[in-house]
Amino acid sequence: MKYIFKFPDIGEGLDEGTIVEWQIKKGQTINVGDSLVTMETDKVVTDIPSPKDGVISATFGKVGETINVGDALVEIEIEEIEGKTAVEENNKNEKVKEEGAGVVGTLEIAGNSAILAASSEGESENKKNNNKPKKALATPVARAMAKDLDIDINKVTGSGPAGRVMKDDILNFSKEKPNVSSNSLLSSTNFSDNMEIEVEPMTQIRKTIAKNMTQSKHNAAHMTIFEEVEVSELDRIRKKFKQEFTEKGSKLTYLAFVVKATAMALKQFKSLNAEMDIEKGNMIYKKYYNIGIAVDTDKGLMVPVIRNADRLSIFEISNKISEYSEKARNGQITMEDMKDGTFTITSYGSIGGIFAVPVINYPQAGILGVGRILKQPIVKNDELAVGLVMPLSLSVDHRIADGGETARFINKIMSYLSEPVSLAMG
Amino acid sequence: MYDLIIIGSGPAGYVSAIRAGQMGLKTAIIEKNVIGGMCLNWGCIPSKAIMESAKLFNKISKDSGRFGVEGIDKKALSFNWDKAIKRSDGIVKKLTTGVGFLLKKNGIEIVEGEAKILSNNSILVNNRTMEAKNIMISTGSKSPEIKSSIKGIVIEPKEAFKSRQLGNNIVVVGETPVAIELAQAFNMIGKKASIVVPTENMMPFADKYIVKQILTKLKKDRIKIYFNFNLNNLEGIYSDGKLKLGEEEIVCDMIFNAKRRKAIIPESDIEIKLDKDGYIDVDENCQTNVPNIYAVGDVNGKSYYAHIGSAQGMHVVNYIQGIKQKLDLKKYPLNMYTVPEASQIGLTEDEIKAQGYDYKISEFPMSANGKALTEGTMEGFVRILSENKYGEVLGVQIMAPNATDMIAEAAAYMELEATVYDVAQTVHAHPTISEVFMEAGFEAVGGAIHK
Repeated sequence: MKYIFKFPDIGEGLDEGTIVEWQIKKGQTINVGDSLVTMETDKVVTDIPSPKDGVISATFGKVGETINVGDALVEIEIEEIEGKTAVEENNKNEKVKEEGAGVVGTLEIAGNSAILAASSEGESENKKNNNKPKKALATPVARAMAKDLDIDINKVTGSGPAGRVMKDDILNFSKEKPNVSSNSLLSSTNFSDNMEIEVEPMTQIRKTIAKNMTQSKHNAAHMTIFEEVEVSELDRIRKKFKQEFTEKGSKLTYLAFVVKATAMALKQFKSLNAEMDIEKGNMIYKKYYNIGIAVDTDKGLMVPVIRNADRLSIFEISNKISEYSEKARNGQITMEDMKDGTFTITSYGSIGGIFAVPVINYPQAGILGVGRILKQPIVKNDELAVGLVMPLSLSVDHRIADGGETARFINKIMSYLSEPVSLAMG
Repeated sequence: MYDLIIIGSGPAGYVSAIRAGQMGLKTAIIEKNVIGGMCLNWGCIPSKAIMESAKLFNKISKDSGRFGVEGIDKKALSFNWDKAIKRSDGIVKKLTTGVGFLLKKNGIEIVEGEAKILSNNSILVNNRTMEAKNIMISTGSKSPEIKSSIKGIVIEPKEAFKSRQLGNNIVVVGETPVAIELAQAFNMIGKKASIVVPTENMMPFADKYIVKQILTKLKKDRIKIYFNFNLNNLEGIYSDGKLKLGEEEIVCDMIFNAKRRKAIIPESDIEIKLDKDGYIDVDENCQTNVPNIYAVGDVNGKSYYAHIGSAQGMHVVNYIQGIKQKLDLKKYPLNMYTVPEASQIGLTEDEIKAQGYDYKISEFPMSANGKALTEGTMEGFVRILSENKYGEVLGVQIMAPNATDMIAEAAAYMELEATVYDVAQTVHAHPTISEVFMEAGFEAVGGAIHK
């Protein structure tokens, strides 16, 4: 029997992916769990395993093609019985439309060839929304109305059975939120022939970064505070334990201390570990402290998360950072690694930069930037001395955190970092 | 302490009890008479059983020759009311036993007796005080009595389907679909039936288009209707087998009461607010003025349909469990077991006009439907009332031999907020009477095929 394996939904909110590399060939025998294809999705490059034992009888899509969740990936001959049903399905999905050279081809499933005006909504309404399931359950009238009013139905909370979006939900949504369409602002330069340029299709990761950054700047009211903290004592401790950590296979960095200090400070300043649900009119305070670490990779920015950082020792945090650096280098960071962060730290100083204005990882409430540590003249006991100074830039969503709260929060982090022994005091 | 005590085991009460039991609520149901209430014991089920006997009799006496069935001596044909009642009783017994079993299976305590509400969380029954977090009143309704000093002339609804000697001239009183149903049933078994309507309109809730068609049918059946006579007491207007209606005098052997029903209010020590018509006043979640006391079914006066009572009850069970949904009575079918049957759902044309919709009506007649013709039916139609912008189905009205079953499809349209495009795109099998839906859908989006 032939089995058509479709591109599965491998993570929250994903709806398309780009084929990076086929791991199998037509005619190859495979077992359950064998990698079929390497796909690049929103933020990860991941292998899609086979759900069945069998022989590959066809693969769909070429390297570089973007395919949607639910599109056929491979056809697997399982057991030894021939079946016609799979073949039919295959034909349906094989209507591949090439859109000309230089453009990434897309696999399109033929639409319903309706004589009558279709009441079903266009596929465009299913476009990404990372926080909700891909396709909203909705009534035909709700869909028609959403389309008409230019509302992304996936953003509407449904009041019907099983969360189905009803007509009234669309009406209420359109009343509450005048839909701001930003599409008209997205024009780019008109290039003439004598301008030398190179056009490259955006990777999924770049698209996601662009979307997330815009979303953050669009929704959050950014406010940034700069500080400098003297970290000679921290440096002393780090140097003292560095060797010990190395022997245990871990690398002790300043960042590990910053993560710990931040997690502990967050426990005392709940609004910095919060988010805002404007639609429902709620503040959501998270009682878990998952610190995202912005990591620079050759594919782009990624933010893996150190879970429950408040409960981890410096050693455990160091281990986690080392693990993520390794994964980042090898392009192995998964969707799972990047889920559920509550606050983010970006340590650009290791590359360069003293102060920066970090962009909040929306919908989190804040992001802490750590700049390059410098030897600087400081005043100590009314005398000039050489100090080791770590610059900090803290951006917060001013809708959530007030100025006083933000200042007290950064003071707390600074006191932990200048007196690292206090990290052990709790 | 019970999670829920339900007063009255009609279709609103017993269905809620089963659902509550399924959801793990500690539930008791109090019944002063018999399980199943009016619907199961004296209303819906017996009336349909008798109607079926009447239809069969009518078909044999009127249509057998035309359908090619010969050898029936029409002069020898007669209708045995008592035997028809016996068949009906058997069905009722089977169903009530079934309900009793389901209640027990779901762990519901059945308490026989009359309930009195003592406080917002206690009830007295048979000198026993029962405490509950929530109380549901589903005590139902009854038709206002027609008083008469002559015994046996007036038949109250609960007595309608009992074995008896039927007179030849029967008057049915009421503006309800039940009044029409009874009159038509008696008419079909060879009685002379008339309807006395207390108000100036028959079935005020129904779309005028349906009412008009039914009145035409009644005229054809030679069932006479007398409007604006509110019979409360036969004193002075009934004597020697004659009923005086204004100037007119009609021959009348018995009077069946099918008047619009009034709430049966349970005894209570605390004030449970009633509306101006004497029904228990409830909000959109069937909650009374006492927050943990709810009233569902006929007793709140929002409808007199068993399925709507059940739906309200289940809504309340969900509600007290924190499952909040919208209870939209416009999405429930309103059936009329007339001949042919009629049914409607959603908004009536008058309501659509009043709400200012830009709408259209797409109608398809039974007379153009093959299956209907093979069954010997020419009467009836399906009408879809839809809004023009999105094509949303706002209301559906059906008149057909099995309209009360066919309306289920329209109920699904309403529940799913379907459009006429969805109706037209749903392929209906041929030959079926349900094809009329697809045709009406086609009519709405461009043009019916067979019209």
